[in-house]
Amino acid sequence: MNYQTTALRRALAADYAIGLMPATARRRFDALLLDDAALRIELGHWQEALASLTGALPERPVPEHVWAVINARIEPQVLHVPAQKPFWMNLRLLAAAFGIVLAVLVGLLYQRDTSVEYNATLVAADQQPALHIQAFSDHLQIEPLALAAVEPTRDLELWVIPPGGKPISLGLVPAAGKGRIQLSTEQQALLTAPLTLAVSLEPRGGSPTGQPTGPVLYQGQLASL
Amino acid sequence: MNAQAELTSAYRAQSRRPRTRAWRSPITLTDADPLRPLLAQCALGNRQAFETLYRTVSPRLHGVAMRFMGRQDLAEEVLQEAFIRIWYNASRYEAHLAAPMTWMINITRNLAIDQLRKRREQPLADGQQDALPDEGPSAHDLLDSERDARALNSCLDTLDGMQRQSITVAYFQGLSCSELAEHLAAPLGSVKSWIRRGMERLRRCLES
Repeated sequence: MNYQTTALRRALAADYAIGLMPATARRRFDALLLDDAALRIELGHWQEALASLTGALPERPVPEHVWAVINARIEPQVLHVPAQKPFWMNLRLLAAAFGIVLAVLVGLLYQRDTSVEYNATLVAADQQPALHIQAFSDHLQIEPLALAAVEPTRDLELWVIPPGGKPISLGLVPAAGKGRIQLSTEQQALLTAPLTLAVSLEPRGGSPTGQPTGPVLYQGQLASL
Repeated sequence: MNAQAELTSAYRAQSRRPRTRAWRSPITLTDADPLRPLLAQCALGNRQAFETLYRTVSPRLHGVAMRFMGRQDLAEEVLQEAFIRIWYNASRYEAHLAAPMTWMINITRNLAIDQLRKRREQPLADGQQDALPDEGPSAHDLLDSERDARALNSCLDTLDGMQRQSITVAYFQGLSCSELAEHLAAPLGSVKSWIRRGMERLRRCLES
């Protein structure tokens, strides 16, 4: 059949919209719709027009149990919201709780020293270990375990998140993965308590804003040895 | 809850406004539609937005489902399925093709018609026939009650009685041409031509 005739296309779209087509014809029309944008628009017009047949129908209140069933049926669905903010807030809470507990323990057990003080294993979203970090008094030693490949125009940036505070940059993860990050005095001071570390994907050279701008790829807690 | 109430009333206010001709300006209509951002949020998995959407449009869709199914329990089932489908398919909504309400009405209608077709194919067990309520209002009552349905209906009024009736019955019962012929007790050829001419006239009217 020649589906290109305007009149025929119109008639078919109209039949389809009303629902007159038998199942086989309907399937054939479905297939046509897939590659024919103009036909989809034609059909859209008919559907829009026919839907106004329902315009005068009275609204009916819906019993509450209907929503309960719907809600339960979509419950197992894992959210795929790219929720940057809630994520950070969540991390902050975690970091706060973790920080308090460990600060007390560490304060009791350790005097500050110059050897390896803390280490951390950062994990990806799927909980696979990606990066191992050892914290010395004046630098961090980075050991990649399974880092995702990064485009040449991007860099990975390491952040420390103090309890209740905003992320503070510790510097860029070396392009090769393995290497060290020198710590300034301020950064060293930060690392006196166990904290959350996170790695975000940033433009080359690091975040232009001083705060993470890209997705967080890895995160983990600094723990005392 | 406040934001939700506001949205609901914003939507209600809009839906009561006389509708511009869908044919000529589907885009401007959808641009201002408060349901559109809600659907977009659903596509991102935002359940709060989904609940707002549900509170806003479920009474309307329930009315639609009830018109098709004619029975409370069946209408609720269709409504449930419709919202599950809306949630999982929100990302496939295409704003340039249909207003959100039209898209959701179509989902509801398709599910209802599937159910109606299944039920027609299943022979009824003894006694079940009696348990079935009337098939709802007759086609004529229906036409009267829907006479005031804005743009389309003023165009429907320009159609001959049989053209109008066959389109309305087909739409609400999901009948094929031959079932429709049986339902209207008319020859198949006549039914086909009523529909075709009726739709063509409808189209010219909607386009003018």
